[in-house]
Amino acid sequence: MAAPTDPMHQFQIQKIVELPTVNVFGQAIDLSITNSVAAMLLAAFLIITFYTLAAKRAVVPGRLQTVGEMLYGLVDGLAESIIGHDGKKYLPFIFTIFAFVLFCNLQGMLFGWSGTFAGFTATSQLAVTLTLGLLVILTVVAVGVVKNGFKFFKLFAPSGVPWPLYFLLVPIEILSFLIRPVTLALRLFGNMLGGHVVLKIFAGFVIALGSIGLVGLLGSVVALLSVTALTALEFMVAFLQAFVFAVLTCVYLNDVVHLDSH
Amino acid sequence: MATEHHGTVETTEAPHGQESSGGLPQLQFQHWGGQIVWLLLIFAVLYAVLSKVLLPKVSGAIEERGAKIAGDIADARRLKDEAEVQARAAAAEVAEARAKAQKTAADAKAKASAEAAERQAKEEAVLAEKLSAAEARIQVARDEAMGHVRAVASETAGAIVEKLTGKAASAAELKASLA
Repeated sequence: MAAPTDPMHQFQIQKIVELPTVNVFGQAIDLSITNSVAAMLLAAFLIITFYTLAAKRAVVPGRLQTVGEMLYGLVDGLAESIIGHDGKKYLPFIFTIFAFVLFCNLQGMLFGWSGTFAGFTATSQLAVTLTLGLLVILTVVAVGVVKNGFKFFKLFAPSGVPWPLYFLLVPIEILSFLIRPVTLALRLFGNMLGGHVVLKIFAGFVIALGSIGLVGLLGSVVALLSVTALTALEFMVAFLQAFVFAVLTCVYLNDVVHLDSH
Repeated sequence: MATEHHGTVETTEAPHGQESSGGLPQLQFQHWGGQIVWLLLIFAVLYAVLSKVLLPKVSGAIEERGAKIAGDIADARRLKDEAEVQARAAAAEVAEARAKAQKTAADAKAKASAEAAERQAKEEAVLAEKLSAAEARIQVARDEAMGHVRAVASETAGAIVEKLTGKAASAAELKASLA
């Protein structure tokens, strides 16, 4: 194993199963199963297992079913309140995004002790968050074009504005639209990266300070308490970022679903 | 051994077995392709399983529960309404029965008092009859007695006249003098 005190080491991609590299459009794509890929596979596996166990049709739900229905109800309420009645159609997509991000985030918090891929936070990988962001925005574009046809481009030209303003407004709208996947990706990536690094650094302090005498021991205790508090905070952030991702997905979908009222 | 480019944490040796290009491990672009392809694959499978199999089950359970609760509440409301109607009917019946009972009692009272009055009248009539009969008897007896008084007076007068005059007065004279 590599040095565990390097706070960046936890983000290092490592191959678990070697698979061949393929060339697509001149791009070499290494299909090996890495710790990041394995963590994502685990997340998907856990979501499916969880919902297979939780999706019982009991009128009086058990604990697992209650939690499962609560998460579903949360996203359902979100889609309903932001998109309205049409939200039901996009609920599976929003829910998949939410559940995937949530499980990826939480795995890093829950299984970190294992020292294996299970504790790897796939959502701290820019490649992953950027793909998710692009997935969301491309879905938004697809939904917008399918639903509104050519009128989709009205999104960039809000009505009720004096026409000279369009010279200013349209470029801004286009820019703000193009920047959406980037902000989606960077927000999630930054939160996961920052939180994990801070945790690791403070945890490093616990050991480093503890080994340099009495005053150091005091600092070590402070650092330990900080790590404890930060861990609780990180759990909240893990949930909150998944929630924010889902909320923004709803908001962006709503823009194109209700283009007329834009 | 790739310890060169780790910014502030250079002192810690980090023998990343891999081709660490330095800086953020997230920016080692040779790992991007694999992650993106795998993510799309995993996401597609997850989306398919959730949207086609699992989420319909969850929403079905929630809807069933909602329908069951709504149905049960509707049932309860219906039963309550029914019970209310029945209670109202029962109250009406009780009121009717009470009115009937009061009427019956009043009727019986009236009948009883009428009968009593009739009986009293009959009794009174009998008594009155008896009284008048008795009065008649008394009248007769008095008349008789009065008649006797006349005869006695006539006799006495005849005797007195005879004693005084020495001769008996005729019956006609006596009668005329006593009238």
